[in-house]
Amino acid sequence: MSVTTAGASRPASHLPGRTSDRSITLALSILAAIPILLFLLLPLTGILLRGFETPDGFGLGNFVQTFGAERFWRLVGNSISMSLTSTLIAVGLAYFYAYALQRAAIPLKPFLRIAVLTPLFAPSLVQAQGLILLLGRNGALNRFLGFDIDIYGFWGTTIANALYAFPYAYLILSAALAVADARIYESAETLGARPTRIFRDVTLPATRFGLAAAIFVVFTLVMTDFGNPMVIGGDFSVLATEVYNQVIGQAQFGLGAVIGIVLLVPAVLAKLIEKRISSRQHALVTAQSKPLTVKPARGRDIAFSVYAYVIVALILSVLAIVVLASFVRLWPYNMSFTLRHYQFDVQNGTAPLWNSVGVSLATAVLGVAITGLTAIVVHKFRNPLTGPLSMLAILPAAVPGMVLGLGYVLTFNDPANPLNILYGSFALIVILSVYYNHAHAFLISSTSLKQIGSVFDEASTTLGGSTLTTLRKVTLPLLWPTLLGVGVFYFMRTMVSLSAVIFLVTPSTQLAAVSVLQLSDRGALNQAAAFSVCIMAIVVACLVIVRTILWLAGARNVTLIR
Amino acid sequence: MDLSIHDLVKRFGKLTALDHVSLEVAQGSFVCFLGPSGCGKTTLLRVIAGLEEADGGSIRLGGSDLSAIPARNRNFGVVFQSYSLFPNMTAARNVGYGLECRRWDRARMQSRIKEMLDLVHLADQAEKLPSQMSGGQQQRIALARALAPDPSALLLDEPLSALDAKVREELRVEIRAVQKRLGITTIMVTHDQEEALAMADLIVVMSKGRIEQIGTPQQLYREPATAFVADFIGRMNVLPLDPGPQDGFRFAGTQLEVRTAAKGPGTAPAALGIRPEAITLKGTEAAGPNVLPASVRTVTFLGNITRIEVEPDTRPGTGILVELHGMARVPALGERLAIDLPAEALRVLS
Repeated sequence: MSVTTAGASRPASHLPGRTSDRSITLALSILAAIPILLFLLLPLTGILLRGFETPDGFGLGNFVQTFGAERFWRLVGNSISMSLTSTLIAVGLAYFYAYALQRAAIPLKPFLRIAVLTPLFAPSLVQAQGLILLLGRNGALNRFLGFDIDIYGFWGTTIANALYAFPYAYLILSAALAVADARIYESAETLGARPTRIFRDVTLPATRFGLAAAIFVVFTLVMTDFGNPMVIGGDFSVLATEVYNQVIGQAQFGLGAVIGIVLLVPAVLAKLIEKRISSRQHALVTAQSKPLTVKPARGRDIAFSVYAYVIVALILSVLAIVVLASFVRLWPYNMSFTLRHYQFDVQNGTAPLWNSVGVSLATAVLGVAITGLTAIVVHKFRNPLTGPLSMLAILPAAVPGMVLGLGYVLTFNDPANPLNILYGSFALIVILSVYYNHAHAFLISSTSLKQIGSVFDEASTTLGGSTLTTLRKVTLPLLWPTLLGVGVFYFMRTMVSLSAVIFLVTPSTQLAAVSVLQLSDRGALNQAAAFSVCIMAIVVACLVIVRTILWLAGARNVTLIR
Repeated sequence: MDLSIHDLVKRFGKLTALDHVSLEVAQGSFVCFLGPSGCGKTTLLRVIAGLEEADGGSIRLGGSDLSAIPARNRNFGVVFQSYSLFPNMTAARNVGYGLECRRWDRARMQSRIKEMLDLVHLADQAEKLPSQMSGGQQQRIALARALAPDPSALLLDEPLSALDAKVREELRVEIRAVQKRLGITTIMVTHDQEEALAMADLIVVMSKGRIEQIGTPQQLYREPATAFVADFIGRMNVLPLDPGPQDGFRFAGTQLEVRTAAKGPGTAPAALGIRPEAITLKGTEAAGPNVLPASVRTVTFLGNITRIEVEPDTRPGTGILVELHGMARVPALGERLAIDLPAEALRVLS
């Protein structure tokens, strides 16, 4: 019988017997798989291959040379101690900040929620910029108050990175603290537990998964961040800056690849552990749960208000000082107002800024198309490629931007590679930006698709709609607000991204975040600040525009800042 | 066209959701698949709709095999439990969706949409979005949408279980009225026995992937074939027979008389069944062939009925429910009395 032979081995949820639909779904799956293989898997294998490539053929030469150097181990020590300290500070402070916002009654929560995310709107070296303007050799404190602070080095890098990673930690912890079952808290209270005890016995255990996730994400982020240590590190070098020096400074691709592999290890480990932990987090909140409502408690609310506002003041002051510096003649000697730093008469003028906008827009469009297609293929068209495809789609979550960028250089500057024609073009930077942010964008689309659920597909199918009709008339119209949100995510991340693209920019493909780095490097602090301000302004403008569009279209609960 | 299901098998991994199911659905009839959750009733409906693929067996509609026909070409109207109206389309566009897929011309489509909206009394809601309608309205639009392309059968997957009790009753009547008017073959899945009894021409009771019994509502209530059916439709006391070889039916040491006419089709009798309302309470002095001495264990007052649990003296530990209607004299807790199990009300269960 045809039924028995045709369908025994296929997954249960598959819709049977549609030859034309089946070939369409397979074709779309292949279409989604090819670019992932070319632009994600190939560069990653490229790094591994180059790490083992020596003048005498394949071998461990690069590893022996790198691991044998005393300097390498000092850098590993620097990286780990700096990252651990940064993580401790960022996650510790972010936990109580998120706690204050979720579990205490404090004034102006919407403002506090947005304000803490502002570092996401700026290139990942703006914290270092701000700290230098504030505490540097010619910083406000040393100059005016007669302090003698030396911020360059371990503490400068650590603090700058902690500020940089704070919003990432906050987003994860806030989500973890948002879900709570009021009944458990009420039980604890009626059993006579005091607030500190409830915190220790109920809140902390319920959020330990979020806490672990935040620690891993922040550690990886800080460990592989490149902008802040470059600007404020001084003589304090870390692995991320060393990769740059090896590859760009000395063209030592093999040695750079080895450090890239070394940086990949903690990122992959962190991701695996995080996945393991989060897979055990289930059913903390069930359908019967009662959401927790915050009851006012004077002492606690005042304490948390003070805390939250101090944190926000710190974060905003670092940004504010950059804005301020962009408007004064010569920080900190001549503080008279001027707009001349916005003339951008040095280097390439405003070209890098518009390049960045163009690249970010292209990334948004291409990224939405690619992640949208991949998510739809994975969730709606089940076939043998589905499993591997969804694994590849979230693989970038474990790959630091710097490492992926390095992989691109190693793979695409090889004249033997037919895709070498892309090398040195904006197109390659766009593609890199798409795949660097692919995991997160894919997860956003997936979540939304899962919420849409299969019932609409089934309804459409039983009414006579084909796969493509369903996609065009039902799925895409429901998905577009999310896809717009994904576009904003790509745009934002690409505008501020530094470590991923640093290896790919050439004199003819300058980008804004890289220009900020070069200007700071040359000591043009005011112009660098003006450039950072422009980047932030563009990102904020984009958020405002898209929020307005969504508001007008009636899609009000789309998260834009991630 | 009659729908004929033969020897259908469906497995999900190790779980057998449909275990050799065979069934005939006559043209124009209203059939309910009834059973507890996980019994396979929804799977059976989904296999008929083409949304799941069977691992074996066949489905034929008026003689032609449906196995190779994809869901979208089977021309069955399906209504889902969650309303499943497309949230981005108005009520009218939802109703017209199946016609759009069939490329009807505009004028014909408009008149059909209007006809369908009139059928479910929602012509005034045509331009509303699903989110602006109540649950009952949405489900009526879903019904109109399923009926619009003139399907050869209507498949309803627990269409009422997400609705409030009052709306549910209204819609029950309305669905049945529409079905009768159009004379369309309809299959409805439900776990609510009252719903099935009220609506169906024929009820298919399912359990663990198998069909327990097929019959009209009256047949199933009066003549349940198995203890499962007896207990699932209404309430029934199941009296396990005394162990050991016997030629009659011995329960609690008493030989019970059973009317053969009421004997079920089961081969090996395992138990006797009796509805709570069929049992009468008598004084301790009463005697007769089917009378057992007992004492009152619990009394529950439920308004129009009073439910009393008694324990036969010769079979302590076995509770038997008795229902008294109206304002009958209610015995006290622990009171000693006798229960009469009328021979014509006793069912042999397999």
